[in-house]
Amino acid sequence: MSSDATAPARDSLAPTGPIEMVLPVEGMTCASCVNRIERFLRKTPGVEEAAVNLATEKATVRFDPTVAGRSELVSAIEAAGYDVKPEAARSEEPVATDLEAEVTSEDAEREKAQRRTLVQSLVSIGAALVFMVLMFWPQTVWAMEDLNKLILWPATFIQFWAGGRFYRSAWKAGRHGGATMDTLVAVGTSAAWAYSVVVTMYPDVIHEAGLHPETYFDSSAIIIGLILLGRWLEDRAKGRTTGAIRRLVGLQAKTARLVRDGEEVEVELALVQPGDLLRVRPGEKVPVDGVLVEGMSAVDESMLTGEPIPATKNPGDEVIGATINTTGSFIMRATRVGRDTALANIVALVQRAQGSKAPIQAMADRIAETFVPAVLVVAALSFVAWFLLGPEPRLTLALTAFIGVVIIACPCAMGLATPTAIMVGTGKGAETGILVRGGQALEAAGRLDTVILDKTGTLTLGKPTVAEILPGPGVDSRELLDLAGSLESNSEHPLGRAIVATAREDERGFRTVEGFEAVAGNGVRGTIEGREVLIGNARMMTERAIDLAAFADATDRHAANGATVSYVAIDGRAAGLVAISDPVKAESAAAVRTLESMGLTVWLLTGDGRRTADAVARQVGIEPARVVAEVLPADKAAVVERLQAEGRHVAMVGDGINDAPALAQADVGVAIGTGADVAIEASDITLVGGDPRLIASAIGLSRATLRTIRQNLFWAFAYNVLLIPVAMGVLYPFTGWTLNPALAAAAMAISSVSVVTNSLRLRSVDVRPGQLKPMRRGPLGVLRDSAFLAGIALVAFAMAGGVYAADRAIDGSAQHVEVIGRNVAFQPTEIRIRAGQWTVVEFTNLDPIFHDWEVEGLANVDAGARPGQSARLRFVIDQPGTYEYLCTVPNHAEAGMVGTLIVE
Amino acid sequence: MDRNVPNGQEHGGANSSDAATTALDPVCGMTVDIAGARDRNLFLEHEGTTYYFCGKGCKLEFGDNPTRYLDPSYVPSM
Repeated sequence: MSSDATAPARDSLAPTGPIEMVLPVEGMTCASCVNRIERFLRKTPGVEEAAVNLATEKATVRFDPTVAGRSELVSAIEAAGYDVKPEAARSEEPVATDLEAEVTSEDAEREKAQRRTLVQSLVSIGAALVFMVLMFWPQTVWAMEDLNKLILWPATFIQFWAGGRFYRSAWKAGRHGGATMDTLVAVGTSAAWAYSVVVTMYPDVIHEAGLHPETYFDSSAIIIGLILLGRWLEDRAKGRTTGAIRRLVGLQAKTARLVRDGEEVEVELALVQPGDLLRVRPGEKVPVDGVLVEGMSAVDESMLTGEPIPATKNPGDEVIGATINTTGSFIMRATRVGRDTALANIVALVQRAQGSKAPIQAMADRIAETFVPAVLVVAALSFVAWFLLGPEPRLTLALTAFIGVVIIACPCAMGLATPTAIMVGTGKGAETGILVRGGQALEAAGRLDTVILDKTGTLTLGKPTVAEILPGPGVDSRELLDLAGSLESNSEHPLGRAIVATAREDERGFRTVEGFEAVAGNGVRGTIEGREVLIGNARMMTERAIDLAAFADATDRHAANGATVSYVAIDGRAAGLVAISDPVKAESAAAVRTLESMGLTVWLLTGDGRRTADAVARQVGIEPARVVAEVLPADKAAVVERLQAEGRHVAMVGDGINDAPALAQADVGVAIGTGADVAIEASDITLVGGDPRLIASAIGLSRATLRTIRQNLFWAFAYNVLLIPVAMGVLYPFTGWTLNPALAAAAMAISSVSVVTNSLRLRSVDVRPGQLKPMRRGPLGVLRDSAFLAGIALVAFAMAGGVYAADRAIDGSAQHVEVIGRNVAFQPTEIRIRAGQWTVVEFTNLDPIFHDWEVEGLANVDAGARPGQSARLRFVIDQPGTYEYLCTVPNHAEAGMVGTLIVE
Repeated sequence: MDRNVPNGQEHGGANSSDAATTALDPVCGMTVDIAGARDRNLFLEHEGTTYYFCGKGCKLEFGDNPTRYLDPSYVPSM
């Protein structure tokens, strides 16, 4: 009772042929030693070719591993009178330990990098908050100039310690003439930092230009901090990429039972050599690839073929390492070990697929690619305009405009736009059993146009189930099931278990079976209440001359559907047929329909036979032209690659180890159900529970997330882009406004709020199976989706208007004082104001040199005006008393530019 | 190398009355240090003559079939 639909797959996977082994020989002195050893080796049965090299002291032997093994070769050399260096060859390929060590060190490094990112992010954000509190606090304790000097040091440290990676990454992109989000961050924060340093070190230069010595240390630090935080959040969701390989390596057996001189010794797997004889007992993993030489068994090869029904193995059949022996015990001869095994090939395939997968360019990077050059051009234009048309000092003002544009162009919400949407999106998915590994997976899943579905375990249950019990003439169907169930309750075979499970539903106890016997690979037999009952495949029945003609039609029908057929014979007569198949999940057809309604092309891919594949495709509604059957793990990946080469964005959905390379190769690998750990590790999305409708839900969620990311990025940039003209100084001629830290902070705050709240809106997407609503499309849909963010913008502008109106109101109620600077003197030289009330000083400079009006001893009560211009200053002094005001330009106060301010 | 040249069997198989310090390996034709060969047990007596060998392989080869290597038409494989 077995299905051999997978036989061709196994054969091509593990071609048996001569293998080569190199043995280090000791004690050779001359050419005759060489001849002697070669002669002795060649007359050893199984050896095809032997070449001994005197200089390297090595014997290279080609031999048939099914006939001879290392021990035979060694004894041949020993018979010739020489020794083989012990175990030297054996330690050459410690594959497993190598791979594991590699994987572990990669993991440790990754973890270290993540911790570093988090620490840098938190320190930057913390520092930025401290800077902000210091800078925007009513400054009566410390003057801004002194504060700046204090902030300069931690700010510089953060700029290069936490921000260092942006420089490296920007440099890397810049060398190819490209620009990424990192370029934008590097340029923007550097501009902010450098400008602030100049302001701090040479406040006079800024003063003379008639500007306030304001710094942007906080902007730089918060941008670095938030972007690093976003990166950490994304990284954390990403998980270990090397996990799949670790799991694969973990799949292999740890030891093997070496048969030598009739004795069995348990040895480390790494010590097994091609040609060694190995004993595999029931329930054990097959240690390496090889050929069965003695015994019989059914081996569960589902990890390679996806076929849930174990394959029968007779002497001469291939067995594959890491597959699981079910019932029988057998002796195999190892043919391929270490890096040559089928499992190692899968490891290599996964590695190759993971390595070759081009990283998807993040959307923020794509924006930066055009945004960065545009910003630089705009900044350069404003520099040129100020330099050619602006007032003196031209260079300083032109530079300020240039830097202002660059500073404001780097939106800190950009760092939050993607991670927050991804966090909410993945969180939402997790509630429904859609586990998404990181942002790239979501971004990629949002762009899919093709979905490849594995058959076993994805569309089908992946578990053998009784499809039909057909009693022969004159046989009661319940009686038939009862007998079959009783007999099979003694068996461990998965097909038997399917029969037992069905019989158990009947709730009749099992009867006593006498003389139970498993006929390995064929079936079982036993005596129940004096009747001899046989269950087995056609071969077992034919061997016993049992006529199956009555079941010919049913057999054909089930074979057409890919079911496995077992026969039941009672007392030498065929009594019934039991068809066992892997049934299609109830939700599969609906799942395929939904995917197609979303505009996705659906393919079916399976290692199973063509007939089974077609039958399943028919049931779920996949076009026959898009069914690919009888493919090996490597070919599954190749099918994915081929579709990708056609320019398609391909998702692969599967559950088996055999799917791992294809999962890794696909743009999005989706592991479904209670699939193998390896499949989960190799995939980008895991669907818990195995409902195939979740595939559509996952893609729908990804599309919604992608849309949110797009909106976020738009609004993250929008406020800053709006402020670019301000930074350019477009408003300066009319209102005297240029960029200042308060404006920059406001833009940061509004865009961050927009982005975070917009991401939270993703929570309303219904991703439950079958509940997915189609996305709004068309210009109207986009408009409705953006209504929320537009609302935030309106509120923000209303608030800005309110602040502006309040400002005006204060101005209206304030006491206005006009001060004129002329001939290095103030007019008037005495001003009276009231304590605790707003005062507006309008300072007009009529001299051909810069002047300012500063109240001594009070921080920030200072207005500077360039020749011929005026400056406004609004302040409140709470403490009554007499103060002195003066011009801080060197020698001006001494020349008599002073006055008295009396506060009553 | 031909065994019949002066450096041939007489010398190689010599049992050292002429105090020779080297001998020829009859199998491979290599020159062998007699003292060294004695130390390593790389010699065989055959019909009253002691033969010295370069290594175990030659000694075993010779032991398996001495007449083949003592045949005048045998040419050492080296």
